[in-house]
Amino acid sequence: MRVPIGWLRDYVPLEMPVEELAARLAVSSCEVERVARLGVPDVDGNLGLLRVGRVVEAGKHPNADRLQLCRVDVGEGEPRQIVCGAWNFGAGATVAVALPGALLPGADAPLGEAKLRGEVSRGMILSERELELGPDHGGILVLDEPYEPGTPLVDVLPLTEQVLEVEVTGNRPDLLSVYGIAREVAALYDLDLAPPPGVDPPRDGDEPVDVRVDDLAGCPRYVGRLFRDVRVGPSPPWLRARLAAAGMRPISNVVDVTNYVMLALGNPLHAFDRARLAEGRVVVRRAGAGEEILTLDGQQRRLDAADLVIADAERAVAIAGIMGGEESEVTEATSEVLLEAANFEPVGILRSSERLKLRTEGSNRWEKGVDPHLAPQAAALATQLLVELAGARWVGATDVQGELPARPVVRLRRERASALIGLDVPVAEQARILGRLGFEQGPESIVTVPTWRARDVTREVDVVEEVARFVLDDVPFTLPARRTMFGTLKPMQRLRRRSEEVLVGCGLSEAYTWSLGPGDSNPGAYSLPEPLSAEHRTLRTRLLDGLVASARHNVDMGNERIALFEIARVYLPNPGAPLPDERWHLAAVVQAPDDETGFRRAKGVVETLYGALRVPFRLDPLEDAAGGSTPDGGTISDLAGWDVDGHWGAFELDLERLLGLLPGVALYEDVVTFPAVKQDLAFVVDEGVRAGDLAEAARAAAGPELREMRVFDVYRGEQVGPGKKSIAFSVAFQSPERTLSDDDAAGLRARIVDALSERFGAVLRA
Amino acid sequence: MEPVDTLAAVDVQALETEALDAVAAASTEEELDEARVRYLGRKSALKQALRGVRDRESGMALNALRERLEQAVAEREEAFAAERQRARTGDAYDPTLPGDAPPRGHLHPITQIRREVEDVFLGLGYEIVDGREVETTRYNFDALNLPAWHPTRSSRASLFLDDETVLRTETSPSQIRTMEERGGPPIYMITTGRVYRRDTVDATHTPIFHQVEGLAIDEGITLADLKGTLLHLMRALFGEDRAVRFRTHYFPFTEPSIEPDVSCFLCDGRGCSVCKHSGWIEMGGAGMVDPALYEFVGTEMYDPERISGFAFGLGLERIAMLRHRLPDIRMLWQNDLRVLEQF
Repeated sequence: MRVPIGWLRDYVPLEMPVEELAARLAVSSCEVERVARLGVPDVDGNLGLLRVGRVVEAGKHPNADRLQLCRVDVGEGEPRQIVCGAWNFGAGATVAVALPGALLPGADAPLGEAKLRGEVSRGMILSERELELGPDHGGILVLDEPYEPGTPLVDVLPLTEQVLEVEVTGNRPDLLSVYGIAREVAALYDLDLAPPPGVDPPRDGDEPVDVRVDDLAGCPRYVGRLFRDVRVGPSPPWLRARLAAAGMRPISNVVDVTNYVMLALGNPLHAFDRARLAEGRVVVRRAGAGEEILTLDGQQRRLDAADLVIADAERAVAIAGIMGGEESEVTEATSEVLLEAANFEPVGILRSSERLKLRTEGSNRWEKGVDPHLAPQAAALATQLLVELAGARWVGATDVQGELPARPVVRLRRERASALIGLDVPVAEQARILGRLGFEQGPESIVTVPTWRARDVTREVDVVEEVARFVLDDVPFTLPARRTMFGTLKPMQRLRRRSEEVLVGCGLSEAYTWSLGPGDSNPGAYSLPEPLSAEHRTLRTRLLDGLVASARHNVDMGNERIALFEIARVYLPNPGAPLPDERWHLAAVVQAPDDETGFRRAKGVVETLYGALRVPFRLDPLEDAAGGSTPDGGTISDLAGWDVDGHWGAFELDLERLLGLLPGVALYEDVVTFPAVKQDLAFVVDEGVRAGDLAEAARAAAGPELREMRVFDVYRGEQVGPGKKSIAFSVAFQSPERTLSDDDAAGLRARIVDALSERFGAVLRA
Repeated sequence: MEPVDTLAAVDVQALETEALDAVAAASTEEELDEARVRYLGRKSALKQALRGVRDRESGMALNALRERLEQAVAEREEAFAAERQRARTGDAYDPTLPGDAPPRGHLHPITQIRREVEDVFLGLGYEIVDGREVETTRYNFDALNLPAWHPTRSSRASLFLDDETVLRTETSPSQIRTMEERGGPPIYMITTGRVYRRDTVDATHTPIFHQVEGLAIDEGITLADLKGTLLHLMRALFGEDRAVRFRTHYFPFTEPSIEPDVSCFLCDGRGCSVCKHSGWIEMGGAGMVDPALYEFVGTEMYDPERISGFAFGLGLERIAMLRHRLPDIRMLWQNDLRVLEQF
């Protein structure tokens, strides 16, 4: 909403700088996007160079067919010679003149004296657009009053204007008008507020106005007024200037009056050419099935049975609150006008506006809720202006009403307000704020809400907010006084943080990928009936897909040594339950020189993670694929079959199950001080024998004195022959009770050799 | 062991010559150590002779020899040490060669900011709640006092699985669940995580983004407490010299509602493109918990006559973009290592 300051001053005597007002409104009332400056720059006496002029002589330029040569009295005694390109005036016209040196809106340099086709022009006769008073540039601006030549133009036209561009929250439709903002400003600064504009002129007739409201729920009020002898034409400059400053385009005096009243008071109006209403009648009803209407924007629109329409005796002539119809539009030929100052129920307008994808200045106000008590005031202002500006004769009136909502009555305990705000706001101050805002205050803390706030303010806490927003800047900064503290991470949160640290320490970087994918490996995965896109349809049941896509992106970008992990939710099918089983997963992809190294890097990272968490790790090899499953039910793989260039290892773990594997607090064990006997043992075995199985069998055979058995080399080649491999272990024997002798070690070693020979046919290499 | 005639058994002069030669001849520290063991070790002739000494004169002579030999070994050791040091710091030594660094990964900027926020509130004694992302419309809309006509209830704005299930549009439903689970005040919690809205992807929007949301319910919680808490958070995130201001706003789930702004940390409030020349940067939404929420959960647990509370919510991406001056939110989802490695 654009609020011209000059207009605002009609209703409240502003004196503070506009920037200060903007800051105050932003804190207490509504967002202020910016303060725009329109019109002639008010610098260095510039305004003094713009005067009212009277054209003394006007005639064709001797050397140019399309120019006029004028002599214009600007109050200097001697008229000035001015060359002008417009022809919409002649001698005697009162015009707006800029003298040389004037800086016009949007100009880079001041106006100079110019010679045009051999004739000196000592000034410029101005159009509406050149003064930023409206869009008209078809001719120069002819003033409608015979002002004295030489009168400063600023005295008769709003040459400079500042405009507050405010954004109002959905609960404050009362601020969607200049008068509404004025009421707020008057309350904020304790200034006098003028009564709302608009006083009914005497009525010049008593003709019936045929209005029938079939749907009082959708239209609780309809003020209809009938005018005759309306002369449709352009609005006067002041009105055009105000509409332009507020961001609306002037159309004709009748339409401009409806828009002006909407901007001034917040109640959208509509004017019908009554002669074009069948039987001169207005019926407010829901649309018939398949009913159509040609709206003012030239669109043929098909209506829904839920859409509220204004109809005549035969057909819909307007979509209520949203847009009028072209067939009953006011035109230059109109002389009978039916003015509608109604009230419409918000949700219906919102739904229709959404369904029709049609948002207008009117619908924007209706959908937020307009005060039903505003309609007569709006009708009064419009009537006054139609009589004044269009020579209309007001001949008939009606006011159809349903049950209008009562004003909420609330009990406000003043100490409760201070307690909730955390600032002692004296009772008198609270009373002053509420009074200024139009709340009536009775005995025993009873507060009656003004009609224009009745939707938003219904409870004590809503009234507290009215006080709070006025003192918001004064509210101190405190912290809650605590009796109970909860400041620790939960076990899952600690596990996630620990995992993140370990993986970062292993050289992996953290990725964030979308929870929605094009499909999922799990047929039970949840899909959106209305997906974001084909690519973002299904809630994932694993993280790897997103990580592989990110890996691919990194490959495409030419990045090397790619290693990524993600910790995020997956959404598993949860039969019988209303919501998915959301679980934390941890997944990673690591790039490597070959697939085997990739797998082993991935496995190494998982081993390191398990080690850091003190959870024993073992991998159960998969039957039919490279890789294996981890104790948490996760998998480690080499990404065989995934569409990504290069060699990779990958894993995906279930953090919920890993959490269940975490051991309790570590308990101290005596450090073994007896020396270890270290040996290297290499066994030749068939290709099919796994190192992990050898180590497990060795442990079983040797018992706890085998402290360590770690693979350090796997060899294939001539020395062991085809179909065989040699696995070399670094072995340590150690006892917590004594120093093992060479004989002890030899015995343990023999048990291992025998066991591996027996179970796997393993042969100890010399 | 047979008693030994010490002086007869050891030719002091010859032993000294032989030992000093061996020490001088040692060309490595290992050879020097061998010489030390041979001439000064437990089993050396000198030590054996010293053990057999019976007379003062022999003792003095042998001890003097031992000291001279020890002196010679020590000098030689020092020489070796000096040589080693020279090798480390001399011309051949190049400390600018790269270190043998293990690989290092990087936490995502959103995680880093999330942790900072979490740590601030852990420090204030709040718990961290992991809320669910797929919610019932009851928790996502009804509980939060969103009227039936509210636009976010439409599939044009939100992502529905069916009529009663929606990907949460804000982290607030977990506040309601926490209120129910606790069964009464005090509650001091924050929750962070993914939220979902049907937004078109552009430089400042993605349909999935992250929020942090806080809730405090206790006896005597005030708007001033909310102001102080957010001031504390903003200063922790953006620097101790930040100012914070609060503007009136409107949300269905809070009353009064406010929006916090932090003074622009780039221009210090003078006005720049980041703060749109206002000197202030919008940081999210907040307010006092609307009594309708207590009514939803049950006023026998949360009696608005006795308790009060505040709630706030911020977008983590917005904080990340402002802090790191990221030009495009999509970067946070592309996982390009050239970007991730900057954080």
